[in-house]
Amino acid sequence: MPFNGKSGKFNASIGTVEFGCGEKAIKIGGENVLPFYTFDAPIENAPKVGVMISDLGLEAEPAGVKAYYEGCTTMADIAKKAAAMPGADFVCLKLEGADPNGENKSTEDCMTVVKEVIDAIDVPLVIAGCKNVTKDAELLTKASEVAQGKNVIILAAKEEDYKGIGAAAGLAYNQKVGAESAVDINLAKQLNVLISQLGVAPSNIVMHVGTATVGYGFEYVVSTMDRIKAAALSQNDAQLQMPIITPVADEAWNVKEAMASEEDMPEWGAQEARGVSMEVSTAASVLASGSNAVILKHPTSVATISKMIKELM
Amino acid sequence: MTLFDRVFGGNDAVYGLTEAAIDKAIAEHGADKAVAFPHTAYSLPCYYAVTGTKVANLGELKTALGVVKTLMTREKRLNDAFMSGVATALCAEFIEVLKYIDGATPYEEPLYGHLADATIRELGVPLVTGDIPGVAVILGSAPTKEDAVALVKSYQAQGILVTLVGGVIDQCVEAGLSMGYAVRIVPLGKDVTSVIHVVSVALRAALIFGNVTPGDAANLMKYTFERVPAFVNAFKPLDDVIVACGAGAIALGFPVVTNETENIFRVPKSLIVQEDVDKFNATSLEARDIKIKITKIDIPVSFASAFEGEIIRKGDMQVEFDGSRKDCFELVQTKELTAIEDHKFTLIGKDFDEFEVGSKNAISYIVDVAGKNMQSDFEPVFERKFHSYVNCIEGVMHTGQRDMIRVRISKATFEAGFRAKDLAEVLYANIKNEFDAVVDKCAVTIITDEAECSKLRHELAIPAYDRRDERLTTLTDEAVPVYYSCIMCQAFSPSHVCVVTPERLGLCGAVSWLDAKATNELDPEGPCQVITKEKVIDENLGRYEDVDEAVAKYSQGALEHVTLYSIMEDPMTSCGCFECICGIEPCSNGVAITNREYAGMTPLGMTFGELASMTGGGVQTPGFMGHGKHFIASKKFMKAEGGFERIVWMPKDLKETVAERLNKAAKEVYNIDNFTDMIGDETIATDPETLLTFLTEKGHPALNLEPLM
Amino acid sequence: MALKGLDIFKHTPKTNCKECGSPTCMAFSMKVAQGAVDITKCPHISEEALAALSEATAPPMKSIKVGTGDAEYTLGGETVLARHEKTFVSKPRFAVNLTPDMDIDAVLAEANKVDYDRIGERMHAEMVYVEFTGDAAAYTEAVKKVTGKGKTIILACKDVAAAKAALDVCKAEKPILCGADASNYAEMVEVAKAAEVVLGVTGADINDLYDTTAAIEKLGYKELVLDTTGKDIKETFAITVQARRACLAKEPDRTFGYPSIVNLSKIAPNDEAMQIALASVFILKYGSIIVMDTMNYARGLALYGLRQNVYTDPQKPMKVEPGIYPLNGADENSVVLTTVDFALTYFVVSGELERSGVPCNLVISDAGGLSVLTAWAAGKLSSTSVSKFIIEEVEPKVKSRKLIIPGKVAVLKGDIEAKLPGWEVIVAPNEAVQLVKFLKDLQANGEI
Repeated sequence: MPFNGKSGKFNASIGTVEFGCGEKAIKIGGENVLPFYTFDAPIENAPKVGVMISDLGLEAEPAGVKAYYEGCTTMADIAKKAAAMPGADFVCLKLEGADPNGENKSTEDCMTVVKEVIDAIDVPLVIAGCKNVTKDAELLTKASEVAQGKNVIILAAKEEDYKGIGAAAGLAYNQKVGAESAVDINLAKQLNVLISQLGVAPSNIVMHVGTATVGYGFEYVVSTMDRIKAAALSQNDAQLQMPIITPVADEAWNVKEAMASEEDMPEWGAQEARGVSMEVSTAASVLASGSNAVILKHPTSVATISKMIKELM
Repeated sequence: MTLFDRVFGGNDAVYGLTEAAIDKAIAEHGADKAVAFPHTAYSLPCYYAVTGTKVANLGELKTALGVVKTLMTREKRLNDAFMSGVATALCAEFIEVLKYIDGATPYEEPLYGHLADATIRELGVPLVTGDIPGVAVILGSAPTKEDAVALVKSYQAQGILVTLVGGVIDQCVEAGLSMGYAVRIVPLGKDVTSVIHVVSVALRAALIFGNVTPGDAANLMKYTFERVPAFVNAFKPLDDVIVACGAGAIALGFPVVTNETENIFRVPKSLIVQEDVDKFNATSLEARDIKIKITKIDIPVSFASAFEGEIIRKGDMQVEFDGSRKDCFELVQTKELTAIEDHKFTLIGKDFDEFEVGSKNAISYIVDVAGKNMQSDFEPVFERKFHSYVNCIEGVMHTGQRDMIRVRISKATFEAGFRAKDLAEVLYANIKNEFDAVVDKCAVTIITDEAECSKLRHELAIPAYDRRDERLTTLTDEAVPVYYSCIMCQAFSPSHVCVVTPERLGLCGAVSWLDAKATNELDPEGPCQVITKEKVIDENLGRYEDVDEAVAKYSQGALEHVTLYSIMEDPMTSCGCFECICGIEPCSNGVAITNREYAGMTPLGMTFGELASMTGGGVQTPGFMGHGKHFIASKKFMKAEGGFERIVWMPKDLKETVAERLNKAAKEVYNIDNFTDMIGDETIATDPETLLTFLTEKGHPALNLEPLM
Repeated sequence: MALKGLDIFKHTPKTNCKECGSPTCMAFSMKVAQGAVDITKCPHISEEALAALSEATAPPMKSIKVGTGDAEYTLGGETVLARHEKTFVSKPRFAVNLTPDMDIDAVLAEANKVDYDRIGERMHAEMVYVEFTGDAAAYTEAVKKVTGKGKTIILACKDVAAAKAALDVCKAEKPILCGADASNYAEMVEVAKAAEVVLGVTGADINDLYDTTAAIEKLGYKELVLDTTGKDIKETFAITVQARRACLAKEPDRTFGYPSIVNLSKIAPNDEAMQIALASVFILKYGSIIVMDTMNYARGLALYGLRQNVYTDPQKPMKVEPGIYPLNGADENSVVLTTVDFALTYFVVSGELERSGVPCNLVISDAGGLSVLTAWAAGKLSSTSVSKFIIEEVEPKVKSRKLIIPGKVAVLKGDIEAKLPGWEVIVAPNEAVQLVKFLKDLQANGEI
């Protein structure tokens, strides 16, 4: 008697969100099965991989990243090279220079960078803020305007600033709104409800449900995503059916395992290999837990994760 | 003359003018002559929004006027008046667009006239976020130019966008007021028809931000009513044309406030006569339901949670108010909206600088609140926050509550200029900010006069506390129409849902039914949601279809059934933060309860920790249940199995904590005296056999009850 | 649905005889319901009760013990498909892939460099996977080299004779004989039975694996693990997930109720980054033994961290040891900060402190493994607990008398100051991310 496995296909499905424009536009979401469960039903849109670049350029990047971008002198060069990274589906421009506790660049200066990047690439773009709520409210509102017609994802609107960013990105300038919450299914849902109440259509919302690096409370990320997918698929909870996008690069390269130098930790071996490992492991884990897109930065990570996705699809 | 006559008359007059103007323009330019407002994709915006048809030339404009005529029905019904108002507005738009023929620039500094789409997109965001809390449309001439400037500035100070039409513009120019989009004062034009340019902003906002389909007039008006916080201030004299325009404004949901008293008809919330121009601001905000966020509390010292734990020692103290020595109290009172002047401060008695340094005195503060959604049940919820508000002031210490408070003010804070009005400001600003969903108006009275404090404490405060306590004791599960869910702890207990009822507070012990109710009203999308209780399945068990549905929904399907009053059948789940756990003790046919603070063994053979790991995590475990301490003496405590007379064991400390209430309830329900004396504790037994001997000796009632299993 | 404690209790003698080791029959029943003890531990349970209960209380997925001594590990025994439903119990183990042609000592020595403690858990490659490549003598030699090294051995060998010979060398260490397939299972069962070792089952595809496992169960052998490795990555994921899902379904299919072995050296050979990616996926999705080319810090730091997180019981958060943690080269004069022993809080706070670069002593006192606000609400973080720890543990070792407390418990400031004469208490911001600026500002202003 052969194995009689029941299909785990659900009646409900994750919503589809399209971002970018023209031939290079991409779709995420749409599946009615758990992540990579293609044996239950085909998954139409494979998860996507984005490449993170920063308005601060390459100075702080690890050698392997610098080497990849060798010869790039402008943000336009960097953006083009990122778009061409093997395995990359989209680019994420992070405006970290705007952080008042860092370089504190003016919104105008940041918008110059946004324009430069938009003009340089034709792959879909995600624009991420500097994580300072007050500054992001201004920065991302303006970015929504500057990127008019490009159908970008604005990452992200949070509980504190969702009104301004949600209205600008989701209503005034027809971008996609990234809804960021802190690793809690109920907060994620509440934010989706609030953004929907502004009048933003669900097909214009993607969730960023919070993240961590493996080893750093990552179980909360796993359980939050598991529960969101379960609620969306088995309970048909429309307020949790938005696809999930997870930025991995920032967190993964910021932990001790990736940052400790070889002098400080001689037994740990090459520093860059550790960083790649943290990035790859975290990305694979959030994808297996339900992310529909990840944002990475190291060429090895991008190549590996995109290959893994292809193999699993 | 009726209001209808005035609206219809005004409408007819404007229609006549419009028709003549269009005919004249056609005669001059020909029917093919293009008409459009600059920098908009929605020309003509108002007509397009209302009808779904675009107008590109004079011929089409003439056709459109025919359509407008169909709105001008003349039955004396409210709808006819509103539609005539809308028709008047559309005529105004037609007249205005004629001014722009051949790329003319009819409006010159400081006048704006038509506003571009880009401006609306820019304006939309702060309107949605509330950074621009409202849009004022001021029309006509104020009694004096000083009145005009004062009114405009009052709105400007609140962040409200002010648009000006007619004589008020000259008044402001004369007074030298700086105007312009950047300072949120926009003079539109001097003809009354230029008011259409602000209407155009509202309607395009509906198309851009509300995704309203052009021509869907019903949704258009719904959007402007719900989402565009605009209102009109029209100065006397009002002619019929202005009255007709006003009808159009009201149709869009924008109330009109006027000082005209002649020949005017009051319509509640829509057409309001306010003779005192100084009160236009307050009246308008109230009518349009606009709440101004307080971003900074204006006091001479800092206000932050970092100061919450400060202790003011005697030597550093300027003045002390001590409820244990003098009559003191703090009280929130709900009042009628009309009975309160928002932000009013009253001081009865001396201010802080009139007390002797280091002296002990009396203080009381009464916070009057009013709001359309305010309920007196919220009073204690607000009052409990006073402790944290007052403590967060730098150099001010607060302990206790109700009439047992103590407040100390440090010398440094006093020297920085902190006085009674600043204390009032802290209370006012925090109440308004935190509870803006239910509080529309708030006024604070501080009393330091000893005689007055004594009098009010006994005549006002204590009766109010008594009423509330009385309300709590009469608040039963049967007496309320709904229960509430609470999922605050799902972060670590994913499938757990608390059903909070008046007699069964959340099992953490921290969320009462009133708290849950307030949380729900203040944050409708938050962790506490209404659960109806209409579909009873079994009253005794507390089984409801509605409750089951709610539990299934909020646990994402992990739980299907719960009962409210049974520990054996589908008991309520436990998260991890319960104060107590009870479990059945089979030998004695009762239940043993243990609490978080008690680490020792129980007659169940398990400690609190072991029980917690087996019953926590939102898993249903018949025979075991987490709950709050307060629940122990509740008449609903395992009611289905006979109630709290089943309790056979509790840790000594817990028993002492609940003794008074439990004994009182036992007397009332079972006619048992000193029930807690019959209940075992760790000094008597931690194994079931010894416990049973003890219970038999005492004749514990559980021994004679029906077997639990 | 598993039986509830009360259902089991009804079948016990209710005598509280304590012979099972539990103080009461109720406590025993609760443990049985949890799967923590077996119903047969009750010496007085009746035959009828046993019959009634054993089927219902039998776990849908077997717990399989392999190895001996320090290298004994329990695999399987899972009851849920997602950790939030209850918890995962048996963490996946890592095996290093070896073939007889390798310099086994050298490969082992390299892998053994990774052996460290992370929040009370030893992190190292627990197992070796020794693959038979056709030469029985060489195989036996290879097995000899891994025997007695403190690692659980997996014999990947379908050759009955070679397997026997290898078992003769290492059977005392309770290895896994991973070698039964449709063609040899009957003989392999005999070999495994004789050596009293766990048998690994392989199949050409999921149906073949299922049929072979069912046939072996028919022979009465149930000490099994399933090699769920397929021909490629996609098939491996499909088999591993479907097998686990079948045995933990509402109507469990116990034929698949065994732990799994996933061999990444086969489906992603010589590709370290891909092996890390896949190992992460299989830690989350149902690998019990994960075979890789080797173990090194790049792999281990990520994978062990992930494993420790995912196998944390949601009800029992990870705790760090109370103590003084000097950061950024702090000495006895450096400022003191305190927070709770909840591992996540510790990691987040210490990470931000390290980023600030400001030398400081992070003091962790016992707060029951709860987060700051929860610990405070539960009374585990109080002015008394903080001041007691400071006086007993910190004052003798640290000279600084400036203490920074979490912003969320600013309310404790006054009480702590009262209980810690000579100390200045400073309130930190509410969120850890704000610490970097906060500390730098304090430093710039010369306050610390």
